[in-house]
Amino acid sequence: MTSTSTSTKSGLSKRTLLLAALIAAGVQTAALAHMVYGRVTLLKTGREIIAEVIPVDPRDLFRGDYVILGYSFTAQPDLDLPLGSKTGDVVYATLHRQEGNKWLTTGVATTYPAQTAADDIVLKGRVAYAYPSPKPGILQGRLRFGIESYFVPEGTGLDLEKQVREHKIEAVLAVGPDGEAGIKALIVDGQRAAEDPLL
Amino acid sequence: MWSYRKRVTRDLERWREAGWVSADGAKSILSDVAKGGGGLGLPAVLAVLAAALIGFALMSFVAANWQAIPRIVRFGMLVGVIWSAYAAAAALMSRDLKAFGDAAVVVGSAAFGAAIMLVSQMYHIDGNPPDGVLLWAGGALLAGCLFRSNPALGFAMILVSFWGAMESGQRFEVFWLYLAGWAVVTAAIVWQRWAGGLHLAAFALTAFVVSLGYLLETGLRHSIVTLIGLGTAAAAVTIGRTLPEWRGLAGLVLPYALVTAFAGLCAMQFIENPRLDAFIMLAALALVLTLTAIWLGLSSADRGLLWLGYLGFSFEALAVYSKTVGTLLGSSVFFLTSGILLAVLAYLAYRLHARQADLPEALS
Repeated sequence: MTSTSTSTKSGLSKRTLLLAALIAAGVQTAALAHMVYGRVTLLKTGREIIAEVIPVDPRDLFRGDYVILGYSFTAQPDLDLPLGSKTGDVVYATLHRQEGNKWLTTGVATTYPAQTAADDIVLKGRVAYAYPSPKPGILQGRLRFGIESYFVPEGTGLDLEKQVREHKIEAVLAVGPDGEAGIKALIVDGQRAAEDPLL
Repeated sequence: MWSYRKRVTRDLERWREAGWVSADGAKSILSDVAKGGGGLGLPAVLAVLAAALIGFALMSFVAANWQAIPRIVRFGMLVGVIWSAYAAAAALMSRDLKAFGDAAVVVGSAAFGAAIMLVSQMYHIDGNPPDGVLLWAGGALLAGCLFRSNPALGFAMILVSFWGAMESGQRFEVFWLYLAGWAVVTAAIVWQRWAGGLHLAAFALTAFVVSLGYLLETGLRHSIVTLIGLGTAAAAVTIGRTLPEWRGLAGLVLPYALVTAFAGLCAMQFIENPRLDAFIMLAALALVLTLTAIWLGLSSADRGLLWLGYLGFSFEALAVYSKTVGTLLGSSVFFLTSGILLAVLAYLAYRLHARQADLPEALS
């Protein structure tokens, strides 16, 4: 590892150190670029759905500079889960559109469903918590989908929180072929309000 | 560091006069000590602390979500910090400024974490936060291995443990996969031959084993922790006495094993609420354990172990006192019994010591 002429106190030659810098910075940049690329692809090519945002318990609404978004399908009580599900497990929820932009979960499975109706959408989520149902042999619980936080500029969180309570807010979601979902924009009273550029 | 130099200078004078060390030898030893001989100097400590502060600055920069600069520019700035930090590390280390180079590696790793947070914020990703922490730990580990940077490896150990704690906190159950992450970072620390890092690794593993007592779903939870601690401690003592080449490692593991056993015993006494007879047995066992630590510390001249023993002993005595304070008679009997037991042990230890050592020395 150490070359004879340029060895340093750290035991690494100048060339090795230069290589170390290149590899460390290069690999870390590549990892970040991969994250960004994945998101941009999802938002660009994912199937777009509009989902009604419902106010959640005000206590939890505002934490730091992001707003918690609730959806009809995340607030759905007593969802039947696959037996043996535990908090943190990955599951796939099939959503069916009700009147307006209200979506409700019609089934939860441990794998991506092989067949779904054309109008239905499959979201990849995680079990937020699970509990045994009063009916024997049935496990119930709630899911989260990674689309429940909306980051806003410092100091504007309370404002958006007020809007969620006073106006009709909808979220534009992009859903990828693997069920991964991302937030594309928010719609306030029918107007696309917070739409970020892809990059 | 400086007090060490003073002491070595004084001792060398004596050793040179006794003819154990040559004059040249004494000179080289002193110049090595003056150079810092691989130990932590004040500049190194300050540089790593500065790196930590810069890291926090980067993370607050992200958290502020400042709109004056477009997100992609902020992202580019962080990537720029990553590249400059590693370039600076290479430049500093090749100029033999290892400590400052280490600090630059830590800044680079912190910037990587800040950039992960920024990407999550840019795209409102709220998926599984521990995944981001794991990626961050991987980046710090990579940088630590490439630059042979101990602070970066320490950072990786902290991050990987944070990942394990987050996963296990989410699920309220043991997160066994943590052991794999721990093992990978520990392997890098062993490869680097970094003793301080081994202590960090041992501390992290101790915390994991103790957490088993609270998270395992089987019945005998804290007793499993106690048995793991006792078994490891017994193995460490045996190996330390029989295999001289493993003595260093055994000495490192022993205090952590004793702490594990003690933590398990404390939970069994004060959290599980046992019946009185079981409680008395457990308290006695805990006292024996702390006394063993004191004895091992004395016999191997290990001050850390000795103080650990004293600390455990005082804690146990106070905890038993506060638990039995309602029945003063009960605590009085407990303290009387332990006092007599200790007196007997002290006498036995004195006899043993007197027989082993030369008689005049034992008396002096």
